[in-house]
Amino acid sequence: MRRSFLMIACASLVIAGTVFSATSQTKMPQLIFRDRTLPNGLRVLSAVDKSSPSVAINVWYHVGSKDDPDQRSGFAHLFEHIMFKSTKNMKAEMMDRLTEDVGGNNNAFTEDDVTVYYETIPSNYLETLLWAEAERLASLTIDEGNFVSERAVVQEEYRQSILAPPYGKFFYALQQKSFNAHPYKRPTIGSIEDLQAATVENVKKFHSTYYRPDNATLIVVGDFDSQQLDKWVDKYFASIPKPNLPLPRVSVKEDARTGEKRFTEYGSNNVKLPAVGITYLVPSQKSEDSAALTMADVILSQGRSSRLYQSLVYQQVVAQSVNSNADLKEDAGLFYLTAILAQGKKPAEAESALLAEVQKLQDTPVSAAELEKAKNQVIASQLRQRETNLGKSQALGSAAVLLGDPKRVNTELDKLQAVTAADVQRVAKKYFTPENRYVFTYLPESARSTSATSQQDRTNDPVKGGSR
Amino acid sequence: MKTFMNKIQAVSLVSLALISFGVCVVAQEPQATPPPPAAPRSVQLPRPVEKTLPNGLRIVVVQRSEMPLVTARLLIKSGGEVDSNDLAGGADMTAALLTRGTTTRSATQIAEQIEALGGFINSSAGWDSSNVSLDVLSARIGPAMEIFADVVRNPAFKEEEITRLRTQYLNNLAVSLGQPGALARFAAARIIYRDAPYGHPLSGTPESLPRIKRDDIARIHGTFYRPDNAILVIGGDMTAENGFALAQKYFGDWPKPANELPKVQIVTPVSEAKNRRILVIDMPDAGQAAVLAVRTAINRNSPDYFRGIVSNAILSGYSGRLNWEIRVKRGLSYGAGSSLDTRRWAGSFSASAQTKNESGAEVAALTLDEVAKLASGDVAETELKPRKASLIGGFARALETNNGLVSQVGSLALYGLGLDEINKFVANVEMVKPADIKRFAAANLNTDSTSLVVVGDAKKFLPALQKQFAQVEVIPVAELDLNSASLRRAISKN
Repeated sequence: MRRSFLMIACASLVIAGTVFSATSQTKMPQLIFRDRTLPNGLRVLSAVDKSSPSVAINVWYHVGSKDDPDQRSGFAHLFEHIMFKSTKNMKAEMMDRLTEDVGGNNNAFTEDDVTVYYETIPSNYLETLLWAEAERLASLTIDEGNFVSERAVVQEEYRQSILAPPYGKFFYALQQKSFNAHPYKRPTIGSIEDLQAATVENVKKFHSTYYRPDNATLIVVGDFDSQQLDKWVDKYFASIPKPNLPLPRVSVKEDARTGEKRFTEYGSNNVKLPAVGITYLVPSQKSEDSAALTMADVILSQGRSSRLYQSLVYQQVVAQSVNSNADLKEDAGLFYLTAILAQGKKPAEAESALLAEVQKLQDTPVSAAELEKAKNQVIASQLRQRETNLGKSQALGSAAVLLGDPKRVNTELDKLQAVTAADVQRVAKKYFTPENRYVFTYLPESARSTSATSQQDRTNDPVKGGSR
Repeated sequence: MKTFMNKIQAVSLVSLALISFGVCVVAQEPQATPPPPAAPRSVQLPRPVEKTLPNGLRIVVVQRSEMPLVTARLLIKSGGEVDSNDLAGGADMTAALLTRGTTTRSATQIAEQIEALGGFINSSAGWDSSNVSLDVLSARIGPAMEIFADVVRNPAFKEEEITRLRTQYLNNLAVSLGQPGALARFAAARIIYRDAPYGHPLSGTPESLPRIKRDDIARIHGTFYRPDNAILVIGGDMTAENGFALAQKYFGDWPKPANELPKVQIVTPVSEAKNRRILVIDMPDAGQAAVLAVRTAINRNSPDYFRGIVSNAILSGYSGRLNWEIRVKRGLSYGAGSSLDTRRWAGSFSASAQTKNESGAEVAALTLDEVAKLASGDVAETELKPRKASLIGGFARALETNNGLVSQVGSLALYGLGLDEINKFVANVEMVKPADIKRFAAANLNTDSTSLVVVGDAKKFLPALQKQFAQVEVIPVAELDLNSASLRRAISKN
């Protein structure tokens, strides 16, 4: 749903920007783009595709939930909602008038590292929307009434994604408790209390701190004329000043884990099937190991022929569903293994089945056929992402902002194609160790008093004050 | 760096054109009004072409070759509506089992072989159709089609796969039944369709699934999976000529049975004031209340179809009236909307939102109010025009992917509509006038005969709801029975 936040529960759907280029049989069409930076620091990436009369616009701000102010978890995402309210020359919801009302649409999402706003519009509205994006970058205005009402919307979003679904609190806890020091421990959606504490003043400060041209990347993909685009970009963005203040950056490092930790979490009594999760701390997506970790993820859980599905869901029937996710970020990332149990199965059975698959990756190199299959799956999913202008624009944004170089939109797949069976085995041995493992068991509330496990494997809660 | 000039007048495009790269751009106050749009470009949609094989299989190919991808979908023109109440979920299990083993390939081999080609294959039943969908790199379509045809024509329906799939379905249900939104949708179908087809959960109930045996599955497959009850749609990087040749190669010798295709005639209830229900499902642990207003509505071939979808667009979408009143104005939900689910025999209309339990009654009232206003008030042209644009834009965006294209073309083919309807969509939407909406809503969306379901922590909204409605039924979630129209277990626990 619109103005969504992305968290790990759905992040597996969005392996954006981790891949591309060619294999033996299928060529990845190169994405030809232009790259220019205005004197005020705004980076502008553009790619022409006239196959349909529409344009996708993205504005990526290099600020995410890791930059939430102290005691304000969820703030970057709440702020994202406020960006659809008024500006100096736009009334609240005017973005919708300029997009939805003319046959386009708009949305935005907040992740740990970035906040992304985007529109898909009929191409004759490109100039209009460039004006509007410049408006909310340069002159956001905040009205108390709108702020309070939108904050309530975000609190409903919290309830809808964390409280109402049976496994909402499970995925929330996985992220929250998997980091000890890094602000990634604050789930992007935040908490009802921290959201309630947010003020209009916080909004103003956040906008002036992070919403500046030298912290933004504008991406335009679709039906337009490049020279005309440059003129419009100059007209609407070039006069936005670059502030003299430095851009604050998170410098906290997550220390290596030093031993297994175990957590028991409780959902409501609507949790009919327990769940287990395992997280390993892994390095930044810029690391040399990220391609091999991504391939390990595909081998473990993409499709019904994947190892976790075959073992836990199909053969042992110990799980209702399984997943893995190489959730790589700008700083430290997490490699997740999760299983929702089948009826009558015990968390310990699912945990040992997951660990057996980890062990297999460590002990035996994947076969050439299995590796080839995973590579084909990766190419096909990247191609599918690029069926639309919006998909292409997001691939460009991800390469430019998260990987630091838009050219990687065309080179990342080569890295994935170069991954060998030995690489997968090596990263499995390096990161999937008992010392680097946090294990989560998720049970219904009714099990809290009766379950022996809830007593035995509870360790100290590692989450410190900031995240609540 | 930039030089700032306080100049209110926006420079014209002509003067901007004189500024070249690298030269300081003249800065100015941002202009106060959005620049107007340029002239629109017209949309070119791919044209579907079709032929029918001698065995009755209808083939539709729609080519679009920007990406080296192909989607192929086989639609069987029978879905969950053929299930009896007792065996609810049979059609969906049958469809799902196709990819769980053929006479020559195990379930694991099917998955491995398709995924090695960079593809995936899925099968399931919907209402009115059962589908097998293949998505693959176009360079690999040949070997992928061989597997695709194998699963359609030669499923093994092994006992162990049936048992395994049943267990999976029961586990999936256990998860769904913990979600207020899913429960509300299950209950809503029973309220409007009662014990008729379309009333049961598509994937069965905890009681019906164990009753489904191999014979039932083989019977469903034998009865409905035949070339003269099927449509094959291929979309993407594929010429019509190649598409037809592939279809001929893999489905040309699919025999048409000698017996007649059974004629199915389905009669479903119509929502009337006398059978309206206001139902609360009490789920004390629900993290939110799910509010859903529901009634029967037009079928897909109704002459009112476009009046219906435009009326729905007034209510639904981000800036539709429901979301505007419930989310934007009041902050009561992350999203509110409605849908007109048109089907072969009888469609349904529903409007829904999730909200904190305390607001359940307020959101219910707002939802019904907005639906009622469609029949009592007028829609101004200034409101209608953007809602039509939004509807048309959404339609066009859905066609951007192969999957969306195949879905849309497949749906037209399934309901026997002309495939050129895809190019008439815009004109058909534009034809709808404000008076049409009022008439449509009065005839089809009367709230006096619209039922309401609220699933959540009843103590937080029931008193307020009882002030709005004289008769509110309350069913504790533990006593809910999805197998019958009453929705209540005949012999309640304790």
